[in-house]
Amino acid sequence: MRPRHPKRDQVPFPLRILGSSVVVLVILLMGLPMVNVLAVSLSEAGASDAPGLVLFPSPATLQGYFFIWNYVDLRGPFLNTLYVSVVGTLIHVILSSLAGYILTQQDLPFRGLMTSFVLLTMTVPSELALIGIYTVNKDLQLVNTYAGLIVNGMISGFSVLLMRNYFSSIPTSLVEAARIDGCSEFKIFRRVYLHLSVPGIMTIGTLELIRRWNNISLTVALISDMKKWTLPVVLRWILFDQTSTSGTEYIFNNAKMAAVVLTALPLVILYFFAQRFFTAGALLGSTKG
Amino acid sequence: MDKKLLGRMKKYKFLYFLFLPIAVYFAVFAYYPFIKGILLSFQENRLIGNRPFVGTSNYEAVLSDPDFLQSVKNSLIIGLTDMVLYFVLSLLLALILNEVFSALLRKTTQTIAYLPYLFSWSVIGGVWALVFDLRGMANLVLGFFEIEPVFFLAEPALARPLVIGMGVWRSVGYFSLLYAVAIVAIGPSLFEAARIDGAGRLKQIRKIILPALRGTMKTIAVFLAIGVLTHFDEIYVMVNPANRQRIRTLLLYVYETGILNFKTGTASAGAALVMAGTLIITAATRRLIKYDKE
Repeated sequence: MRPRHPKRDQVPFPLRILGSSVVVLVILLMGLPMVNVLAVSLSEAGASDAPGLVLFPSPATLQGYFFIWNYVDLRGPFLNTLYVSVVGTLIHVILSSLAGYILTQQDLPFRGLMTSFVLLTMTVPSELALIGIYTVNKDLQLVNTYAGLIVNGMISGFSVLLMRNYFSSIPTSLVEAARIDGCSEFKIFRRVYLHLSVPGIMTIGTLELIRRWNNISLTVALISDMKKWTLPVVLRWILFDQTSTSGTEYIFNNAKMAAVVLTALPLVILYFFAQRFFTAGALLGSTKG
Repeated sequence: MDKKLLGRMKKYKFLYFLFLPIAVYFAVFAYYPFIKGILLSFQENRLIGNRPFVGTSNYEAVLSDPDFLQSVKNSLIIGLTDMVLYFVLSLLLALILNEVFSALLRKTTQTIAYLPYLFSWSVIGGVWALVFDLRGMANLVLGFFEIEPVFFLAEPALARPLVIGMGVWRSVGYFSLLYAVAIVAIGPSLFEAARIDGAGRLKQIRKIILPALRGTMKTIAVFLAIGVLTHFDEIYVMVNPANRQRIRTLLLYVYETGILNFKTGTASAGAALVMAGTLIITAATRRLIKYDKE
């Protein structure tokens, strides 16, 4: 039989078998738990707590979702997290693009100094300054506020670097042409730079949205008021803590797993719509520099 | 000359004006917390009011705290194991997937393996809670081999392997994607030339693909090295009274001591030591992989 890809050689047969088994194993190890979670979340309360592996709910029901959404009030944290993540990401994208644009100006005096000032912040992971961050936010009265969650991470060295690289790949002739046509600097920024950097903007936007939606460390450092917790922190409480808090009703597995799905779903949906920007982000992360 | 510089600065005054809030942000929320943390580590434990300087007594306190020393040990075990496993397993997965001829199967596997990287650690905690439940999937497999059910999440001896497993489950797909991107970028002419020279596929992998991945490998290694001592989220999610001695990492220690128990000085001394440790691990990794050469 002729191979379908005549241009490629194959590894020896025993290794091919080994490779295929690894692929099957990976699919099972990664896929089955996800299917299991989804199936349990769609099961009835009683069935979801019964022993045995559920990979297909019968009968399928959304009662777990209704319970967790209305009764345990996941709606509140869900909307809070959406608000904090979306607003924070918008500001992040605007400020990072702006900074990237400023640092692209070739003959801007002190450009090197300004660039170093921004990029130096990438060298230390912010988690290592957790206590300092907490104290600063406390002094600015940002503790236990959504403003605190939005302001921290309003812009980052990484995103500025990314946008700067994007902007500097735009040919100057294009900018000159726009200038000759009488465009104002702001119009040039908007029409030329932003327009041509949509992929870059989408990339930092998706990365930032994921980071904010999933964030735990900053939230638990700044927010001690349970009512203001974001989704991941509430989810942890639902999964592991609420049994030890008195006065709450027993939460069945189906409702717990519904909470898991509701926390993960928005980003999974985003992934399938904006897949290429995720890969672009991965590509950028993999270049040595 | 100076006049010229001033003239140029004047031309850009609007951009300076726009840059001002950005500079202020970085000063207040990036530089200041960092410096503040180091200052706090030499000051008395107080949340408000003036804090007198106390020399190195916070460092002495933290280094004689058995909880801190235990968390150093936990951090190193969990962090270094994760680093090695992420690095090796994702490379293997990328190489194996690259040999899969069916593009559909390859893409599907890649997507399934990548998805958990989008999940919050709480979501993965939920997956673990279900899979490692007394009646969950893991015990079902054990039952098949007629092993008694294990209460995984409350078994101290299994605490570290479970947390390490979470990280592997979440991250291997992502890092293997980074490798895959680099493999795709290799020009097909190299393989053709190798084939003409009579090199088999295995030799092509060894002589073409692996060398081409060297840059990606270095970047990933350094990225992982910086993260060795910064494990926090997954520990915060999974920690319970039964496993806390085994999995409490340095950052959880810092968080609990400084933010929950208000001992800012002690916690900052701990954080400063974590920072020093991170620098050492990163420098050692850079040297080990000859990052700065070539």
